Amino acid sequence: MSRFRVTGKGRVDHHAPVRFTFDGKSFFGLRGDTLASALLANGVHLVGRSFKYHRPRGIVTAGSEEPNALVGTSRGRGRFEPNTRATLQELRSGLVAESQNRLPSLKFDVGAINDALSPLFSAGFYYKTFMWPKGFWDKVYEPVIRAAAGLGRAPETTDPDRYASRHAHTDVLVIGAGPAGIAAALAAAKAGAKVVLAEETAEIGGALLSDPEVVIDGAKAWNWIAARAADLAESGVRVMTRTTAIGYYHQNMIGLAERLTDHLDSVPENAPRERLWRIRARHVVLAQGAIEKPLVFHGNDRPGVMLAGAAQTYLHRFGVRVGDSAAVVTSHDSAWHAAFDLQDAGTGIAVIVDTRTDVREDLVAEAERRGIRLRLGHTATGTDGRLRVSALRINPLRDGSVGNGTKVFCDCVLMCGGWTPSLHLFSHTKGTLKWDAENTAFLPDRKSEAVEIAGAGRGLWGYGAALDDGAKAGALAAEALGLSAAAPTHDVRQDRPGTGTAHEELPTDHDRGHTRAFVDFQNDVTAKDIRLAVREGMRSIEHVKRYTTTGMATDQGKLSNINGLLIASNALGKEPPKVGLTTFRPPYTPTTFGTFAGYHRGAHFEVTRKTPIDSWAAENGAVWEPVGQWRRARYFPQGSEDMDDAVARECRAVREGVGLFDASTLGKIEVTGPDAAEFMNRMYTNPWTKLAPGKLRYGVLLGEDGFIRDDGVIGRISDHRFHVTTTTGGAARVLNMMEDYLQTEWPDLDVWLTSTTEQWAVAALNGPKARTVLDGLVEGLDISNEAFPMMSVADCTVAGIPARLFRLSFTGELGYEINVPARHGRALWEALMEAGKAHGITPYGTETMHVLRAEKGFIIVGQDTDGTVTPDDAGLDWAIGKAKPDFVGKRSLARPDLVAQGRRQLVGLLTQDGKVRLDEGAQIVDDPNQPTPMKMIGHVTSSYHSATLGRSIAMAVIENGRARMGETVHVPTGKGVEAAVIASAVFYDPEGGRAKL
Amino acid sequence: MLLIHCPYCDETLPESEFAYAGEAHIARPADPSATTDEEWRDYLFIRSNVKGAHYERWRHVHGCARFFNAVRDTVSDRFLTTYPAGAPRPALSDLEASE
Amino acid sequence: MKHTDDFAPEDLPAIEVLPPAARFSLRARPAQAEVLGRALGLTLPGRVGERTGEAGREAMCLGPDEWVILAPEEDGAAIVQALADAYGEAPHALADISDREIRFRVSGKGTLDLMAMGCPRDVSAIAPGRGARTVFDGATVVLWRDGEEDVRLDVWRSFAPHVRDLLETGRAELAAGL
Repeated sequence: MSRFRVTGKGRVDHHAPVRFTFDGKSFFGLRGDTLASALLANGVHLVGRSFKYHRPRGIVTAGSEEPNALVGTSRGRGRFEPNTRATLQELRSGLVAESQNRLPSLKFDVGAINDALSPLFSAGFYYKTFMWPKGFWDKVYEPVIRAAAGLGRAPETTDPDRYASRHAHTDVLVIGAGPAGIAAALAAAKAGAKVVLAEETAEIGGALLSDPEVVIDGAKAWNWIAARAADLAESGVRVMTRTTAIGYYHQNMIGLAERLTDHLDSVPENAPRERLWRIRARHVVLAQGAIEKPLVFHGNDRPGVMLAGAAQTYLHRFGVRVGDSAAVVTSHDSAWHAAFDLQDAGTGIAVIVDTRTDVREDLVAEAERRGIRLRLGHTATGTDGRLRVSALRINPLRDGSVGNGTKVFCDCVLMCGGWTPSLHLFSHTKGTLKWDAENTAFLPDRKSEAVEIAGAGRGLWGYGAALDDGAKAGALAAEALGLSAAAPTHDVRQDRPGTGTAHEELPTDHDRGHTRAFVDFQNDVTAKDIRLAVREGMRSIEHVKRYTTTGMATDQGKLSNINGLLIASNALGKEPPKVGLTTFRPPYTPTTFGTFAGYHRGAHFEVTRKTPIDSWAAENGAVWEPVGQWRRARYFPQGSEDMDDAVARECRAVREGVGLFDASTLGKIEVTGPDAAEFMNRMYTNPWTKLAPGKLRYGVLLGEDGFIRDDGVIGRISDHRFHVTTTTGGAARVLNMMEDYLQTEWPDLDVWLTSTTEQWAVAALNGPKARTVLDGLVEGLDISNEAFPMMSVADCTVAGIPARLFRLSFTGELGYEINVPARHGRALWEALMEAGKAHGITPYGTETMHVLRAEKGFIIVGQDTDGTVTPDDAGLDWAIGKAKPDFVGKRSLARPDLVAQGRRQLVGLLTQDGKVRLDEGAQIVDDPNQPTPMKMIGHVTSSYHSATLGRSIAMAVIENGRARMGETVHVPTGKGVEAAVIASAVFYDPEGGRAKL
Repeated sequence: MLLIHCPYCDETLPESEFAYAGEAHIARPADPSATTDEEWRDYLFIRSNVKGAHYERWRHVHGCARFFNAVRDTVSDRFLTTYPAGAPRPALSDLEASE
Repeated sequence: MKHTDDFAPEDLPAIEVLPPAARFSLRARPAQAEVLGRALGLTLPGRVGERTGEAGREAMCLGPDEWVILAPEEDGAAIVQALADAYGEAPHALADISDREIRFRVSGKGTLDLMAMGCPRDVSAIAPGRGARTVFDGATVVLWRDGEEDVRLDVWRSFAPHVRDLLETGRAELAAGL
């Protein structure tokens, strides 16, 4: 056992050793340790190199605010995490940890040359150093900076862990399970509220875990905690440990990250590593306590220099002495208690340095009784040591001047610059803060949510004050919910109240232009950097922050913000509240991407909608294409076919024989009611009144701005019922738009809408042999051309399945769309494949469908239109019911811009070289030799190779295109410029006879 | 994440059940063909974009599916009230008084 | 620490796919609810989230003018006929959506925890015997709360695998005991 472990102390299990490695070396800690406490128990302070200067750094804190002790941790392949805070990571058996930012080793690091070159890297160096010579940025500076930037290394393999998320709802959420939080939770729960108590660390108790001699209501601190834990359970309070509240959002929605497995030796099967909670609380109590501030002096970042409160926590909570000989330097009473406790545990106290001359008498008397050397009214001006502090330099302060320095030998320095109330979450709510000069701290002022702040979070010091305040906050929360609540008071003995004073950089006899007094350890920002920023013209604290990067590291300045503010306000000659504080933003602590992603990864990343026929396509080798949330079969390659081969074969099959296509994704809406036809008249451009039941019509839907929004074939099933189809991607949008008009503009109409998209599976049978294939399967309907001509709809039975049969064509060939209840979709498909076998029936996908429709010049909304295309632009003027008094978008069709000359019109394009396929989206010019910038006259919207025509075809929108048939335009290709002739967009069967066979 | 009171369900529910639907109280002209180009332009495109109390529409899309109106403070993101589509625009003075 | 083995299956929610039933979307003005209810042989509930049932038929009010009707499969044709007969007196829209949704039943200990993995709203605040259309992991669902830890979810067919996947993942998570 290391001499730094104190037998009988701490909440660790002294009989349960736990093995771990750090930088390849094997160590033992104890069950209950954090990685930091285990390292300290082994005498290891040096844990990393700093971000910019690669200075050796040690453990500074004992909590999640730790700026230095960031390490890489892993447990096997893929399970590597950079920047794990060693102070929060509980020790587990076999934990592998490594230090960061060092090359080749922690003790000898070549990057430390940056420290010697530090004048180059002062505040704003990024903006100055790399300005010259021109051209060096791309070739030299950026690559070097990229290689050197960042802290830790990124994981290289996919994270194999699971992550979870959960919503929860509660009356009262208490954040922080220190004395104030425990008292608040109990007061609220005893009033009858449903309470959740969230605690970042592994157990409740907060600072009391580090102050075991405090006596509350007759019980010693740890006994009191145990009794309250039982109380909480009995009162139905849900206590969530290892759970950090990371964000406070509108209306009391709190995001919390729960760490579930990182502390476990072995992980249960299927257990998520972390869980993101979204808790909605009717009232919140913030009891997050306060964070100790470092003192800012030359060499305050040397390993072995740490916060006094952290040393006290390591002693009492983990049974670890942080050194053999401690020099204490403080401006607050709390460090005195830490010194006494450490001395009791066998650590020599080399000196207590207090910047104040007037220190509480009882503390001074106690120190003198203990024989501790005291230096009141002194300052700290430097440290010695390479990888670990070996001495502290101190100087007397006399009448504002700094006297001669003396060295005090030590192996650790415990500093305390006072405490900062932890108000990060409160700041997320836009609650305002008010500067409290006495506490030299910002305290909560105006609240914007239903929230109470309790205890040290609002500047109260001492356990009695925190407990009573917590109980009061819990009672207030319960009362706000209409419950009657009581706030018990607490009798606290051996309490440790305290006060202190705050400093900017401590007074020094060094030239302040050369001191290395660190403010922000994680981003390597010194007091000098902040003064420089002010000297160079930064006035706003937000500018100082960005210029120096203070407070911009992953700890968001938890230790550095107030010190940075005091230094900046001093340099600016303004009071701190006039300078102000930068904004805290979620997350409160760094949070893994996995936690935010939750279940949404891999196949569950987002919804993938599949049709009832999808399984058949999967079994038959379909290549997929995502269309909105759907996955659709794009083509069905055979043998070694590539896409072009497969699509050419599928096209030929449809043109010459028969093909089968899964059209189930088409949006479908039933429009039903006495006013159905009137509603259709108002929504769509076309006239509907005279469409007879049993007939179909192609409908165009505009936005109120006159541009095409959607299209589809619409069947009149009966006088009062239409079966509307929409584009695949437009289904939800069209229904939303229809409901909007119906609910808000025309609530007088008796008509209702129902989405039937997924009620029906749809198989599209196309080709000259389509009727031959279908004939034998249809019952209850004569499907001869005479009895069931083009653009008809009827209910019947197909292959024994009740069906709604459409006769229409999106390919130009004889075609049917067979709708059956979705559960029968695959059976229908297989029956059609079987019936078509003798005729060479060929399944085809969306790519073939696109080619076939382009050969016919049929548009695809969203491909050939882009939200600025009118029906006339698209050549769909014929689809407008001009006699109708009104329909959505009609008025806009008379807008000056929409009737102006020179609009881009949809036309066909035939390249001079039929083998060249234009790029979709390619811009079109008249004269490719004109000076730049050239005048674009349009762009290509669709482009394919047409097996039917034996050449490429394209559709395009071109200014005045319809009046320019036969003219040549030019289109850039990957290789050069291709000449193309403007043609009709209907490349195939312009008379349309084939669909009417 | 906001909580929104649906006036049709008479329940206060998470924002994820709702979809925003633009500014409220912009009625489609009864006879669009009678509007001037300027009037029609204003109907189509001109919106108030206020800083402060904004009359706007929401739809309880994963719920009762109704469109309804709301007054939301665009500075604090707080809803002052919600009310059914077609109901008159509540006076701001009443809303502030009830806060 | 609880491992999977420590869990008896009765400690975990059961996830079942329910057999097809006759399902209809019924939309009409609220004033017609009485006539239409009579045609259906039940009272159409008047407030969003309320449910009624009679002789194997169930109705839930989803919106001020919208109900979902659930009935044994063999009742489907009779319902269509009965409402067609009432159309003259009480115009409405009846759409057969028997195939639109897949229906899950989730029941047993942990059901509410499973719901909380996907539903932002407080499912425990929906009283047993009521229901709601809501959202589960991005998919619209009609949720029927039949008992304390007993719910049905109607999910559009193409979203069902996604919903089921999260239900199964969640069940495994509950089995892990963390």
